[in-house]
Amino acid sequence: MAITEDRPLAIGTGSAATVTAPLGSFTRPSGNTGWKSWLTSVDHKRIGIMYGVGAMFFFLVGGIEALLIRLQLSVPDNNVLSENAYNQIFTMHGITMVFLVVMPMAAAFANYLLPLQIGARDVAFPRLNAFSFWCWLFGAIFVNSAWFLGGGADCGWFCYAPNSNPVFSPSNGVDFYAIGLQITGIASLVSAVNLIVTVLNLRAPGMTLMRMPVFTWMTLVTQVLLLFAIPVITVALFLLMFDRLFDSNFFNVDAGADPLLWEHLFWIFGHPEVYIMILPSFGIISETIPVFSRKPIFGYPFMVFSGIAIGFMGWGVWAHHMFASGIGPISVAAFSISTMFIAVPTGVKILNWLATMWGGKLRFTVSMMFSIGLVSMFTIGGLSGVTHAVAPSDTQQTDTYYIVAHFHYVLFGGALLGLFAGFYFWWPKMFGYFLSEKVGKIHFWLTLIGFNLTFGPMHILGLQGMSRRIPTYSDWQGFNFWNMVSTIGAFLIAISLLVFFFNIAASRKASKTMPNPGPDPWDARSLEWSIPSPTPEHNFDTVPEVKDFDDWWHRKYGENADGEIVRIANAEDIAQDGLGHPHLPAPSYWPIVLAAGLPFIGYGLIFSLWWCVPGAMMVIAAMFGWALEPPDDFELPDHGHDGDGDGDHAELEAGETAGELASGDAVENPEEAPVG
Amino acid sequence: MSRGRWLTIGALVALMVAVLTGCASDAPLDTMEPKGTFSERIDGLFNTVMIVAAVVFVLVQGGILFLMARFRRRNDDDDSLPSQVHGNFALEIGWTILPAVILAVITVPTVAVLFELNEEPEGDFADCIVVNGQQWWWSFDYYVDDPDCGENEDGQQVRQPDIVTANELVVPSGTEIELVIRSRDVIHSFWIPALNGKRDAVPGRTANWLIQADEPGTYQGQCTEFCGLSHGLMRMQAKAVTAADYDAWKTAQMAPAETPAEGTSAAAGAELFAAQCARCHTVRDAELPTYDDVAADRADNPVLLVPGVAPDLTHFASREWFRGGVEELWLNGAPGEGQFNRVAVEEWLRNPTEVKAMAADPAEYPGSEVDLGRGMPDLNLSEAQIDELTDYLMGLE
Repeated sequence: MAITEDRPLAIGTGSAATVTAPLGSFTRPSGNTGWKSWLTSVDHKRIGIMYGVGAMFFFLVGGIEALLIRLQLSVPDNNVLSENAYNQIFTMHGITMVFLVVMPMAAAFANYLLPLQIGARDVAFPRLNAFSFWCWLFGAIFVNSAWFLGGGADCGWFCYAPNSNPVFSPSNGVDFYAIGLQITGIASLVSAVNLIVTVLNLRAPGMTLMRMPVFTWMTLVTQVLLLFAIPVITVALFLLMFDRLFDSNFFNVDAGADPLLWEHLFWIFGHPEVYIMILPSFGIISETIPVFSRKPIFGYPFMVFSGIAIGFMGWGVWAHHMFASGIGPISVAAFSISTMFIAVPTGVKILNWLATMWGGKLRFTVSMMFSIGLVSMFTIGGLSGVTHAVAPSDTQQTDTYYIVAHFHYVLFGGALLGLFAGFYFWWPKMFGYFLSEKVGKIHFWLTLIGFNLTFGPMHILGLQGMSRRIPTYSDWQGFNFWNMVSTIGAFLIAISLLVFFFNIAASRKASKTMPNPGPDPWDARSLEWSIPSPTPEHNFDTVPEVKDFDDWWHRKYGENADGEIVRIANAEDIAQDGLGHPHLPAPSYWPIVLAAGLPFIGYGLIFSLWWCVPGAMMVIAAMFGWALEPPDDFELPDHGHDGDGDGDHAELEAGETAGELASGDAVENPEEAPVG
Repeated sequence: MSRGRWLTIGALVALMVAVLTGCASDAPLDTMEPKGTFSERIDGLFNTVMIVAAVVFVLVQGGILFLMARFRRRNDDDDSLPSQVHGNFALEIGWTILPAVILAVITVPTVAVLFELNEEPEGDFADCIVVNGQQWWWSFDYYVDDPDCGENEDGQQVRQPDIVTANELVVPSGTEIELVIRSRDVIHSFWIPALNGKRDAVPGRTANWLIQADEPGTYQGQCTEFCGLSHGLMRMQAKAVTAADYDAWKTAQMAPAETPAEGTSAAAGAELFAAQCARCHTVRDAELPTYDDVAADRADNPVLLVPGVAPDLTHFASREWFRGGVEELWLNGAPGEGQFNRVAVEEWLRNPTEVKAMAADPAEYPGSEVDLGRGMPDLNLSEAQIDELTDYLMGLE
């Protein structure tokens, strides 16, 4: 039931029509310039960019933590860091890189690109999208604020019970971990629902599921994984929070608890989490490799179904993190076998990427170099992964640097290289200028060399028996040389990142005198390249009608009389001009307010329950404000609507009708029924 | 071939040589130098898998390099499209099935070795050795000729162990031994890489784990499950000795410690030990010759903490290493023959928390309601006291 009011229309058709709209207690913010507009924006592109900026900031934080770790381990018996500081730093490095870097960076691409690739004007729930971002950001700040409030978590990102109990970890660090990750978990969960609904309901006419770009597919699989994985870790964190703050006994061994409960809960989340981090990058390079090979992706259905297969099988392998825990030989054998076979769909992907390159005309742009880098480096991570699946030999390797090497080859060599490929590829679309290819190549080679110098030697260190999470080692243990090499590599990575930031700054400066890259600078294949760069606020003037997989490419190329495929149109000629003024959802104050209440509740739980009061009041007030917010700002003069129905802003607000009446535009494509 | 390519090849060869020499370096925890039947089986399995992985690695990376060289866009490219292949069903089915078959083949020896490693031990080793992990050291409890580990039929503990050592696990070589692994606080992981893989010590659970050493020798180990502050300094040694030496060792260890002669510095140290150290550390002497006596004494004496709170020192000087298996106790020779590492012992006694991070002082955690004392606190001993205590400890052979 909606609370409604009648009010006259300020502008519009000239008749004395009134519209029925929900009662708005507050006006919505307007305007889309200035820094304040970013706080209230519900534009998926701006939210995507903010995710990217936030993730980059935390990449610096996590990177500094990594450098401190490497500094400490560069020589034996080092004491740059105390044991206590070291434990906090490696814990926070893991948490930061997983939850505050790779996941939000993938979310940046998902937010920015998903609507564009399916031909939508925004995600299904724009305000919820803004809420996801702010919720993530405040959660991230909350977790890191522990540094200033008694120290970060010191239990490892996996935070095994009972070491996470206050008896063994008395600082508040673990509380920040337990509560902070619940807050970022809300962000992931909301975002997952939002993006799944977007993909299922907002696809442009003709964009069937099997015509969706592979990146969209991989993002969909990722969001489904999140939808089921986040609740598991939330339950675990909730129990941990109760154990720590309210003296419950879920993980208290003296009271009869079994610490393996935490291990199972954590890894049932933790292993799908690996695929949550890697699949978006698989999606990205499935876009870049075809473009820079000038060929369609090889075996599209196999690429899609192998991604789905990874998503499914990812749920059946978690106990391979527990081969040394004592879960019994039958369980170990079962998880050993299931882990082996998850390599099959991954292998299919690698071979299909190679087959895409086969017979192509490869352009070695920076984006392509990062993409090939991913295929090459991830293969190494995949192969070392198979050696872990061999359970008996895993009992030698687990918790050694061999594992550290393995998952950095997967997450850095896989996820991060893919994300960098994405940055170089979509940068002109996002910002209207190229990143310098010249500087980019320096960035790539420094990254690749630094990465291999850092993590390659860790394979050897692990096989030599160096354990993980040890703050130092002895001279006689034989770990000196490769640790020094690894530390040098880590600083090379740091330099490569500085080169990347320099590239952004320099390219941005140079772009002032450069022509716009145009809608389709790479001769690409998917819909986001059919609109101007940078993407206009409303994405598409008219919602495209999709007739084929790689539809945009098929509009540029067709068969000539001889049956040869030749260029039939220039991108500039057939791209949209971005001058339309379709109706867009108005910005909103409430997502940021609602999200900002959550950290107060968190601090309250840790320090004094009184802090929960203002936090809860903010949350409740924001919920009411959100619900009672008027659907749009009627006073806004340029309030257009292209008659595309709910398709472009499916927040299902009653203002829809008002918008249509007010605009008075002719319905351009009456046959474009809302897909939703 | 151009000069650049020769340089590249030269660099690659140099890198490989560096890697191989790096692998061959003297690392006592090396997982690829098995010294017993179980670790050898694991090593064999790992080497097999590595060969398969190496072949795949070379094929894929070689394939990538080939594709990059062969299909790069030429400078004189005429801008025509390459053949627009969308896929090849048969090929793709093929490279779905092929890796599946390869992996299926690998699973066979994997599962076989897995179950071999979980079989009952061969041979007739009659002692029970309980491995106890705690923050941040290991204790090894020996129940001589008692496979039930001091428990009755109902699983209740009815007797104390005969021998308790810290961080030094002494076993007969050539014998398969099933250890009983437990934890007294958080999760630890027991690992002697030369003898077998690792097995977690999970509080509230009991794990059985096989080890076997082909030859006598000292094999390094390390706790490998993150267990808090001094996880990195929680090491141990497994010392394999001949069967005869093992029996002699047991006899020597079961004997109570000798009381130092009156009037010596060591005797003063013994008095100091009783006053300052015995609240946590145990030395079985003429007064309390067995652990059953020790346990009874502690039950009557609430001032004393439970046994196990600190390493047992009855035969401290018989050990090769101390301080969580991190520091050598005897330099340049076996215990009793080499030079006693007096400097390290005295440094430790001067202020243990300087040498090893421990949560010894509850005051480090203001506002906390639990007694967090864990590890050895600074006892503010004078240099003279340190000297006397060291003399006493040195005599505990």
